Amino acid sequence: MIGKNRRKRTWFAAAVLAAGSLVATSLPAHAETGVSASEIKLGITLPLTGAASPGYNKVGDAMNAYFKYVNDNGGVYGRKITLIQKNDEYSPTLAVAKTNELILKDKVFALVGSLGTANHKAVAKSVGLQRRGIPDLFINTGFSGFADKKVYGTTFPLFPSYYMEAKIMAEFIKDNYAGKTLGLVYQNDDFGSDAVKGFAQAGLKFDVTIPYTSGTQSASTAQTWVSQLAAGKAQVVVMFGVTSATGPLLAVAAAAKYAPQWILGSVGGDATTLRALGVPAAVLTGAQGASFLPSPGDTSDEYVKLFQEVNAKYNNNVAFDNNVLVGMNTAMLTVQALRAAGQNLTRRGLIRAIQSKGSKFASAGLAPLNWSSSSQVGYNGYWFGQYDSAGNMKPLSGGVVVYTTDNAKGAVVKSNYKRPAMPAKGLPNNS
Amino acid sequence: MRKRLLFFILLGWVLLIVGDRVDELRVYQGAQISMYAIALSSIVLLTGYSGQVSLGNGAMMAVGGYAAALTLNNLQTPIWFAFLMSILASAIFGALLGASAARLSGPYLAGTTLALAVGLPALANQFGFLGGEQGILFDVGFPPERFGEEFSQYKWFFWIATFIALISLFITSNILHSRFGRTWRAIRGNSLAAELAGVHSARMKVLAFTISSAIAGLAGAVLAMTISLVSPGAYTLSLSFALVTGAVLAGISSLPGVMLGAVILVAIPEFADVVAHRLGDSEKVITHLPGLIVSVLLILSVIFTPNGPGENLRKHRKKKSAH
Amino acid sequence: MQKVIETVLIGLSTGSIYALMSLAIVLVWRSTRVVNFAQAGQAMLSTYIGYEIATRSEVFWLGLVFAIAAGALIGAGVDYFFMRVLFKHATTGPAAVVAPVIATLGLLGLIRSAVGLIWGGDLRSIPAPVSRDGYTIGDTTLPFSPLNTLIIVSVCLVLIAISILFTRTNLGLALRASAYAPEIAQLAGIKTAQTRTIGWAIAGGVGGIAGMLITSYNFLSPNSLDLLLVFGFIAAVIGGLESMVGSVVGALILGVGLTFILNYVGTSLTFISGFLVLIVVLLVKPEGILGSRKGRRA
Repeated sequence: MIGKNRRKRTWFAAAVLAAGSLVATSLPAHAETGVSASEIKLGITLPLTGAASPGYNKVGDAMNAYFKYVNDNGGVYGRKITLIQKNDEYSPTLAVAKTNELILKDKVFALVGSLGTANHKAVAKSVGLQRRGIPDLFINTGFSGFADKKVYGTTFPLFPSYYMEAKIMAEFIKDNYAGKTLGLVYQNDDFGSDAVKGFAQAGLKFDVTIPYTSGTQSASTAQTWVSQLAAGKAQVVVMFGVTSATGPLLAVAAAAKYAPQWILGSVGGDATTLRALGVPAAVLTGAQGASFLPSPGDTSDEYVKLFQEVNAKYNNNVAFDNNVLVGMNTAMLTVQALRAAGQNLTRRGLIRAIQSKGSKFASAGLAPLNWSSSSQVGYNGYWFGQYDSAGNMKPLSGGVVVYTTDNAKGAVVKSNYKRPAMPAKGLPNNS
Repeated sequence: MRKRLLFFILLGWVLLIVGDRVDELRVYQGAQISMYAIALSSIVLLTGYSGQVSLGNGAMMAVGGYAAALTLNNLQTPIWFAFLMSILASAIFGALLGASAARLSGPYLAGTTLALAVGLPALANQFGFLGGEQGILFDVGFPPERFGEEFSQYKWFFWIATFIALISLFITSNILHSRFGRTWRAIRGNSLAAELAGVHSARMKVLAFTISSAIAGLAGAVLAMTISLVSPGAYTLSLSFALVTGAVLAGISSLPGVMLGAVILVAIPEFADVVAHRLGDSEKVITHLPGLIVSVLLILSVIFTPNGPGENLRKHRKKKSAH
Repeated sequence: MQKVIETVLIGLSTGSIYALMSLAIVLVWRSTRVVNFAQAGQAMLSTYIGYEIATRSEVFWLGLVFAIAAGALIGAGVDYFFMRVLFKHATTGPAAVVAPVIATLGLLGLIRSAVGLIWGGDLRSIPAPVSRDGYTIGDTTLPFSPLNTLIIVSVCLVLIAISILFTRTNLGLALRASAYAPEIAQLAGIKTAQTRTIGWAIAGGVGGIAGMLITSYNFLSPNSLDLLLVFGFIAAVIGGLESMVGSVVGALILGVGLTFILNYVGTSLTFISGFLVLIVVLLVKPEGILGSRKGRRA
């Protein structure tokens, strides 16, 4: 009797399983996925909740704010942009699942600004972005591997790679701090080790190196870093970690009255977040850092000024930091890419447009863009500055000097690149 | 036994047809459902039958996933061998863990396995060959050409995952209906009485741990296949928690329930998304509501149907027949 | 040598925070025989309330008082509205063992999502009430500040207060009696259900202190106390899960031990070492370093 019941339940479960999968059938194909006469659908996966979310969770909203601004001013050839954000909690499993949803259910035209190296490697491979020709624009990571066109043919990195950053930083240190005792704290994963390779390529050796594991950063971990750095008498310390690691490091070092010259990598150098983490202004003042964008507090910059206005009007006036700046800058580049692809928007056309015209796009970036038919690299340079008491990064004496390099053995050179002027009202009019 | 075999073959045939009729997203979700079904069956065996609570299933899955990926990448073996290695590696791991932990009772074991679930994936950062935070690729390749142009990668994942799930569930159901299954239930019910009846309860518990871990490892390899990657971020604490949730929602001691539980695990986020969008466009609501719904469901089900919906039905029926 | 001393100092300070969490876990365990996985969630919610008060009034201590009160209320509420219902229903079948574990996990998820809905996922910090600058001896600055002292002193005060409560008051006697032998206590006229709720309230208050102290030091987010739970639990087991003093000693040992691993071996191994310590303790001395010989194994 019991056996019979069990079998019945098994059948019931099987029926549920079958019914659960039989919900929808596919739609007829049309001109181009995600594009209609009035709308262009884009998608992004990023951590909106979880330990890795702080800071990054602002990027999607910032992009959306800029798109709304463009939509209110005519959109892209009359089409309005819709950005669908999906929370991947910084897990590759969820990133793949959510990207599949974006592509198969929401039927987005392209992915833009997706975040996280491991996540994005999984997505590109499992979803088959390159094979299916799905454009994957301006990803929010500096892992140098994504510039490999053979594997990631439809992916367009935006940030200079961590490898480039390290090479440029090595030159900066050699020029300014020759003979000093050097320390390095780095995140022991793709991001940090990419940088370590860059330092090695540039021939820079550190006297104290401290790798840490992503997720272990806290005030007590930072105390152990500080003891090691202080014991090694490091005079110049490079920090290649996320903001939630940089914050405790600076705060703890200040408490221990250990004050080397800090050089912060671009990833962990967002002043607003650092201040929110309890880093006293006095500690941040005088620290040096690298960036490829203007300082988010620099209202004399036309791009920053416009983005701040958009932020006030369309983004609930959230604290305007580097994450918001990156989001809006990415959105502005996206709009130009969509325009460059023409009225008859296709995925192939979009990729070709970025390859042929992308290097001329207007953006807040102070380093050149390098997209071409042979290169997938976006920005390839950095400038160095010093944080002032308000947390803004100010150029060292002599103004903003951008240095550029490549992902291989190329030298670090001073760039004389001059970025294009912002289109009127920050509304792209390219074609 | 023969009837069960017939049932699984029939189920496979139905799924094969269903897989051809639904759209790509459902096919992909079908692969996920199969993966969850395997993972949940490992919890049913361990918790539902042998009465041990483990929160470390994510860790077991990680062992299986990494074993499969390392085998495939370093030895260039066929796919099936990689899956076999995932079972073997996680079984050995489970036996070791079981030997040291199976003597522990409820909350101790739960806490110990929780610490494991937090600690183990971080090891990938310590050893270079495990690929660190960005993980290593696990590529089962494109579907064979003879299936034709139309045969998508999703369907290939779905076929492999479902095939593995059917075999794994068939074997598990045979184990649970065997002498072992009965002994585990006896230990769970009253371990002292079972000991008196001549059952070596500690050894049986280690055995349960080993088999459960082997199944979880297999699920971990299937998960790695569907995302083409193994990395610490793929086997988080939230995965372990989600699996426990699924097991409880489906009825912790019912093997057929795992299919329902797996469907629920895949369906809830989608359902929650829809509800969140109905409730308003606030980004905060959309972000946090899914977690809230899952938690409330979990709490309600553990309070009101702690042994699964099936248990309540059975009770109901018993009451009726008594009248 | 200096490095060793520094490691010990950092470890003691870290361990003190673990101690508060493990104390909370032990208090609940003694009163209800449940390991409360939601303890970190309750502490986190209390800390958010304390954070609101502290930032608005700009008085840390007022925030602390509110966090303790909120923690106690939440703790009592969880027992009264939640655990009682649970024990009424989930008492039979295979799930009886699992139910409390899963229910508290569900509660953790519930609190976390609710906090996310109310406060969002941004990082927050509470300015420390005393200086975070390390003490200076001669020309070396120790990685040990008045804040660290405050944390250790608070732990001692909490411990003293609780031991006075347990050994010198009628309530304490009732708490001990209902933990030791609930049926007999009930026969002796103790309202065991009520004392149990009080046990949960005290644990919640202690959790609130832990959350506020760690946040004056680190940052606050819906996930920021998750690891504290894991380490707090490990510490509680090292101490025997029964003994309050044992749990504090266990926490200090764990704090110092992990800091040594952090300082001398590498960060990737800290989490797994927590697990290994747990396994070793359970195998070698399953009753905990100060625990009584009973109840550990099935």
